[in-house]
Amino acid sequence: MPVRSLLSRVVLAALGACLVLFIVGPLLRLLFFASPESLGAALRDTELRDSIVLTVFTASLATFIAALFGVPLAYLLARRNFPGRRLVQGLIELPVVVPHPVAGIALLLFLGRRSEVGGALAHVGLEFVSHVPGIVAAMLFVSAPILVSGAREAFRGVDPQLERVARTLGDTGWGAFRRVTLPLAGRGVLAGSILAWSRSVSEFGSIVILTYNPKVASIYIFDRFTAYGLQAAVPAAVILLLVALTVLVVVRVLQPEERR
Amino acid sequence: MIRLENLHVRVGTFDLRDITLEVPKGGYALIIGPTGSGKTTLLEAVAGHARLKAGRVFMHDDEVTHLPPERRGLGFVYQQYHLFPHLNVRDNIGYGLGPGRGPRDAADPEARIAELADMLAIAPLLDRPIRGLSGGEQQRVALARALAPRPSILLLDEPFAAVDPATRQVLRRELRELHEREGITTLQVTHDFDEALRLGDLVAVLAEGRIAQSGTPEEVFRYPNSAFVARFVGTGNVIAGVVERTEPGNGAGSFRGTFRGGSLVLEVVAEREGPIHAVIRPEDIVLSLSHNPGSARNHMDGRVVRLERIGPVTLVHLDVGRPLIASLTTQSVEEMDLKAGKPVMVAFKATAILLV
Repeated sequence: MPVRSLLSRVVLAALGACLVLFIVGPLLRLLFFASPESLGAALRDTELRDSIVLTVFTASLATFIAALFGVPLAYLLARRNFPGRRLVQGLIELPVVVPHPVAGIALLLFLGRRSEVGGALAHVGLEFVSHVPGIVAAMLFVSAPILVSGAREAFRGVDPQLERVARTLGDTGWGAFRRVTLPLAGRGVLAGSILAWSRSVSEFGSIVILTYNPKVASIYIFDRFTAYGLQAAVPAAVILLLVALTVLVVVRVLQPEERR
Repeated sequence: MIRLENLHVRVGTFDLRDITLEVPKGGYALIIGPTGSGKTTLLEAVAGHARLKAGRVFMHDDEVTHLPPERRGLGFVYQQYHLFPHLNVRDNIGYGLGPGRGPRDAADPEARIAELADMLAIAPLLDRPIRGLSGGEQQRVALARALAPRPSILLLDEPFAAVDPATRQVLRRELRELHEREGITTLQVTHDFDEALRLGDLVAVLAEGRIAQSGTPEEVFRYPNSAFVARFVGTGNVIAGVVERTEPGNGAGSFRGTFRGGSLVLEVVAEREGPIHAVIRPEDIVLSLSHNPGSARNHMDGRVVRLERIGPVTLVHLDVGRPLIASLTTQSVEEMDLKAGKPVMVAFKATAILLV
């Protein structure tokens, strides 16, 4: 192998390795920082358990709502060419670029009791600020774009001609979607949903403004850290990290490695 | 029966216009045309996948212009097969026989699947996944899938384009047999006129979104109505030029005239004067080694440029001041000992020149 080519490979590999180490290093440090005893104690802590249960529940609810409204939208964005499609696509991705505390403040203004929408919803018993629905709303806001774009790409990966074939074989539009497109895009849609779910689990910036109490896991960790210091925050942080790693593995397994 | 009346379809900036065509019940029609002439768009319009700007579609005397594809009772085979990758061969073939797939006779789907698998020699593949099938196998599965619900109309979009020539020959023959056995009215798209000659009862040549000519393959091949059709179907030598009247008289009917195209001056029987194309079929050109013009009105000196042997027939590429192709039996080429550079006498009758 020519020396120059070898040298360039070494440089490229070294640059990549630095970044990988920078990501893996802190996480490994965190994992081994907590003693098994402290982890056990943390798991017996009802406040932490409650916050994890709350986090899983609210993230699941937010993902369900995002899927209910987002999967049809993703299908439209992938398949139909309607006026304003690009605009809708841009709008749905807006939460990705909005800083999360900004999103929290915007949601607070929109859903607070003093706004028309928040007031009307409070009137029918749906309170957001400092209530569980506030957590779900914040999670939905930040995670819906992830679900929509994941599902959109999954639908784009299915040849639209397959639906046409199904139609000429006597299937209705809905039947073709249900029997052909959905089974073929299913894994991708599921992967997008899981990514959206884990995005919800990790959300902090907007929830902290909308609903500090009851505490989701990320806020619980922040609370422990500010009130009792590093040692108190670590076990909870490790548990949340393990949850995230599990999700990542599941997504990797679901996503097809090569797509032809 | 399929009848199209003045179809107009717009796809982006492309227009398919004034499409009027009738395929009789049990007939086999081919739409031929170069890439981008609108062939696939035409099939999609018949299937109900494309929105019509104008025109009407009839199937068996019923107007289906506004019916969705699933209610038109047709089968569609695409060039790239488009088999369902998440289903095995059996479930692909049986897709159109499932519950809720339209008002079709699906009393015994398994029997129908087995019948088609036998007919198309794919019975051993039934439990295989789609991945790993060869192109020819995929095409057979696609054909079986389209035929399973017993459609009365079959649409084929370049069904043999993606298989090797040997498989193509076999599939063509099988398709023609299937067509006769099941009596399905068939409309096929191809860019290959040879296919039209072998398969079709009726052929329509599509050019830039319009039907340039339609008729039996033999008619279109022998009497192309334009230089485009003559070139596309490979009728033979197409020469641009001008016709002048040489006998007195005026008005209707044919007359003797002179065709001038570059250095070539031909005696012709024409029906109109002015700019025109002369079409001379290669088999109408007579070659001889002696100066014996016989009864042919047009004769000229030429030189053999190249021989192109196609089995029992040999195409003789000539130079008569411009290129010209003659078709002879390989036997007479050998008897005359034709080879590149040899001077020959070139002759053809005035009536062998088609002016379009």
